[in-house]
Amino acid sequence: MMKPTSLTLLTALLLGSAAFAATPKDTLVIQQSNDTPTLDPTANYDTGSSNMIENMYDTLWTYKGNSLRAFTPMLATAVPTFTNNGKTLTVNLRKGVKFHSGNSFTCADAQYTFERNLVTNSAESGNWFLAESLTGTQANANDDKSVTWDKISKAVQCNAQGQLVFTLPKADPAFLAKLAFSGQSILDKQWAIKQGEWDGTEKTWKDWVGKDVQGSNLSKNPSGTGPYQLVSRDANALLFKAFAGYWGKKPAIQNVIVQKIPELAARQQAFLRGDADLVETGSRANIEEQLKGKPGVVIVDGLPNTSATGIFMNENIKAGDALGSGKLDGNGIPANFFSDANLRRGFAYSFNYAQYIQDVQQGKGKQRTMLLPDSFPGYDAKVKTYKFDAAQAKSYFQKAWGGNVWKNGFTLNADYRAGSVAAQTAMEILKKNVEALNPKFKVNIKQKQWADMLNDSKQGKEPMIIIGWAPDYADPDNFMYTFYSSNGYYFPRSNWKDAAVDKWLDQARATVNPAERNKLYSQVANRAYEQAPYLLVPAGVGLYAIRDNLVGANASTYNPMLGSSTLFTGTAWKDLSKK
Amino acid sequence: MLNFIIRRIAQIPLVMLALSLLLFVIIFQLTPAQRAAGYIRSEQQAAQLDNIIRQRGLDQPFPIQYGKWLSSTVQGDLGFSRTSSKPVFDTMKERLPSTIELSLYAGIPIVLLGIWLGTLSALNKDRFVDQFLRVFAVLGTSLPSFVLGIVLLKFLYGSLGWLPGPGQVDVLNQFAVLDPTFKHYTGMLSVDAMLNGRWAVAGDVLRHLIMPVLTLVIIFSANILKVMRAQMLETLTSDYVRTARAKGLGNKAVNLKHARRNALLPIVTLTGFTAINLLAGAIITETIFAYPGVGQWVGSAAQNLDVPAVMGFALLSAIIVVVISTLTDLFYGVVDPRVRFD
Repeated sequence: MMKPTSLTLLTALLLGSAAFAATPKDTLVIQQSNDTPTLDPTANYDTGSSNMIENMYDTLWTYKGNSLRAFTPMLATAVPTFTNNGKTLTVNLRKGVKFHSGNSFTCADAQYTFERNLVTNSAESGNWFLAESLTGTQANANDDKSVTWDKISKAVQCNAQGQLVFTLPKADPAFLAKLAFSGQSILDKQWAIKQGEWDGTEKTWKDWVGKDVQGSNLSKNPSGTGPYQLVSRDANALLFKAFAGYWGKKPAIQNVIVQKIPELAARQQAFLRGDADLVETGSRANIEEQLKGKPGVVIVDGLPNTSATGIFMNENIKAGDALGSGKLDGNGIPANFFSDANLRRGFAYSFNYAQYIQDVQQGKGKQRTMLLPDSFPGYDAKVKTYKFDAAQAKSYFQKAWGGNVWKNGFTLNADYRAGSVAAQTAMEILKKNVEALNPKFKVNIKQKQWADMLNDSKQGKEPMIIIGWAPDYADPDNFMYTFYSSNGYYFPRSNWKDAAVDKWLDQARATVNPAERNKLYSQVANRAYEQAPYLLVPAGVGLYAIRDNLVGANASTYNPMLGSSTLFTGTAWKDLSKK
Repeated sequence: MLNFIIRRIAQIPLVMLALSLLLFVIIFQLTPAQRAAGYIRSEQQAAQLDNIIRQRGLDQPFPIQYGKWLSSTVQGDLGFSRTSSKPVFDTMKERLPSTIELSLYAGIPIVLLGIWLGTLSALNKDRFVDQFLRVFAVLGTSLPSFVLGIVLLKFLYGSLGWLPGPGQVDVLNQFAVLDPTFKHYTGMLSVDAMLNGRWAVAGDVLRHLIMPVLTLVIIFSANILKVMRAQMLETLTSDYVRTARAKGLGNKAVNLKHARRNALLPIVTLTGFTAINLLAGAIITETIFAYPGVGQWVGSAAQNLDVPAVMGFALLSAIIVVVISTLTDLFYGVVDPRVRFD
C-alpha cells in the first residue's frame, strides 16, 4: 500500500512541477480552431492558410498599413501604373532577395508563379479571378478550350531587362488589388521543381491543368521570401522562425507557434492565463462576455468590416412550390411578385435597422448606403438609406400591384442559412414588422442548409433569402458587379436588371481612372436606392482581443484584407513585438 | 483456436465492405451540392459550386463513384483528407499512435478502478461507501464528456492552475518536440520523449495527459463499476459461494477468488467495448483537450463532410472492432475455462 509520503511526492511531481510560464518574449503563440488547409499559395483561398502564407511569402505589393486604397511594394520595387490603355503592366523587381531555400529571387520565379496559378486554376482556389484578368475567362484549360499554352505564356513574361510584364486582353482596374492577394505570392521555382511540382514547361502543362495542389509537396516543404520560414509541423502545431536572410526589416518576434485548439473554452482559458498571445475568440458576444475587462486582456474595437449582406427579393421566382397559390390571393405570390419597386420599397421601410444593430451586433453596427464596405474605394456615404418607417412601408405596400397587395395580402416564403443566428434574427424582424402592417400579410421563414440554399437560389428558386459577400480583393467591382450587374454572380438570385446600372458597371470595369469609377459607383448606388433591389442589412463592427504585452497590433495597423484579419489582428507578425 | 482466429480475421474484409457500402449509401442521400459544400471554406468559393461538383465527379451515378472509391482503396489509396490536408492513410498513421497512447493511459485505470470500486460497492452494500459509489456511477454515466472535460479544464487549469492546459506539451517543450532532431519513434509522445532522453518533455506530456485521462476514467469506469457491482451481488448469493463459506473459507478468499472471478465475465465484454470506444477515437475528449488523435481529426472531418476521411476512419474502426472482439472472445477462455473455441 502506498504510504502517505509517497502519495504526496507523486502528487507534487504531477501537480506541483507543472511550470506555467507566460509565453517567451521572442515567441508568439497563436491558437486557432482548425487545421491550416495549405501552405501552397496557389491553393490558398481561406483565412487560415492566408494567415500563414502572408507571413512566409511575399506578393509583388501589398496593402499599405490599414488602407484598402493604397499599396506598398514588396517584391516589386514600386507599384507600377498601367500602359497601353490599361492592358500592359510592367513590374520592376527587387534585387538581392533570397528564398528560404537559399535560392535567389528572379523574374523567372514570378513568371512561374503566375503561370502555375493559371495552369492549375482549380475550382477550390482563388485563381479564377487572376485567370479572368489574364486569359479572359475564369475557367481553366480543361473547362474552356480557348485557354491555351500560348495564351498563358504570353499573358505573363520576363523581358530582356528582367522586368515582369503582364499583358491583359482588356483593361482591368482591379488587377493591382488582385495581385495583392496572398494566393498570388511568389514561389521559388527551382525549389518547387525539386519538390516534384510542375516543371514550368509547355511539354507538361496539360498534366497539371485543374490539379488540386492543396496537399502539394510545396505545401509540405514551403520556401518563400517572407520574414518567417516553416521549421516543422505536427498534427496539432506549426513552428516558424524568423528568416535570417529576409530582405526587409528584421522581425522582433523570433518564433511563432501556431497551435490547433478546437475548443473555444480551452482557447479562452489559455489566453486568460497568458499561455497564448492570440486566440481565435469567436463572436463579439464571446469577447464581451468572456474576455473584456479581464486582467492582461486588451480589446481592440471599432474595426472595419469588409463583408456586405443583403436580403434578396427575387423578381423572377422559378419554383412553383415556393409560390404557394402562385397568385396574389393571400395564399401565395406570383413569380414576378418582387418586380414592383413599390413592393420592394415597402419591405425596405419595414426592416428595423436599429433593432438589428442592437439585437445582433450589440449596438456596434452600421447601416451602409450600398452593398459595398464603407472602407472600400468607391463607397459613397452621401447616398440615401431606408429607415424603419411603418407609415412609409404601409404607403408603398398600398401602391404595390395597383393596390392588390394591400387588398388581397400575400404569403411569402423566405429562407435563411441554417445555424446563422444573425440571419434568423434579421428575417424575424422583417416578418414581425411586415405582418404587423396588414393581417393579410404572411411571411413564413425557415432555415435551410447552406449548400441547398446556394444551389436553389442560383437556380432562381428562392423568393427571398439573406446572403453576404466577402471580398477576394479590395476593389469595388468585386462587390458592385457581383450584386448589381445582370451579369454578376448574384443576378440569378435577384433577377434585378437595370440597363443603366449595367452600363455604368461595365464602364467602371473598363476604366482605370479612380475618380471616374467612383462617380459611376455613386450613380449605381443612387439608382439602387430608388429601385430597392435589396434590403441592406447593417454591417457589424470588427474587434479582437490581445494580451496587453503584445505591441504593434491596433486599429491603425489592422488591415481587413489580410488573412489574419478575420480571426486575429490583421497585422503581419513581423510588425509585432512583446514587452 | 487457430481456426477461430483465422475465421475472425477473414471476416475483416467483409465487415469493411459492408460498412463502406452502408456509409456510401448514407452519404449518397445528400445532394451533389451538399457534398460539394464540404470543399467550400469561404463564401467566395461558393461561387465555384458547379465547378467543384463537375471536377470532383460528384454528379456521377452511385456505382461509378463507389466503384472508383473501392478501386483506389483496394490499391491502398484511401484518398485525400481535406481536413488534415494529407492523404487519409498518412493522417491515420500519424494520429493513431496518440489515440493508442491515450487509450493505454486511460484504459488500464478504467478497468482496474471499475472492478475495484464495483467490488467495494457490492461488499459494502447499502453502507455509506456503496451509496457514495452509486452516486458516482450515476454521475459518471450521465455526465456528457464535453461538460466534464470543460469543467475540469476551467477548474483545474483556468481557475486553480494546478494542471496544464490543452495540447500535449507547454510552449517551451513544444520547441523540443518540433525540433527536427527529436525522433518520433513510436508516435506516442510520452514514449518518444523518454526514448529521446528528454525527461522534462516526458514529464510535461504526462501532466498534460492527466485531465483527458481523468475525464475518460470517470466516464468509462462508472459503467464498469455498475456492472461489476451487480454481478458481484449476484454471485455473492449463489450456491457455490455459500458452499465455500460453509466449508470455512475466509471472507477474502471467497470474495476475491470465488465471487469476483465469476463476476468478471461480463466485465471482459464491457472492457472490449470500452477499448473499441477509446481506440476508435474518444472524439469529444480529444477535441476538448486538443489531443491530436484520430478522434479529433474525424470529429472535424465529419463536420466538414470530408468523405474520404470518414470512409477511411470507418475502415479503421471495422478493423479495431473485429480485432478487439476476437481478443475479447479469446480472453473468455482464460477467465472461464468452460469456454472453448474448437
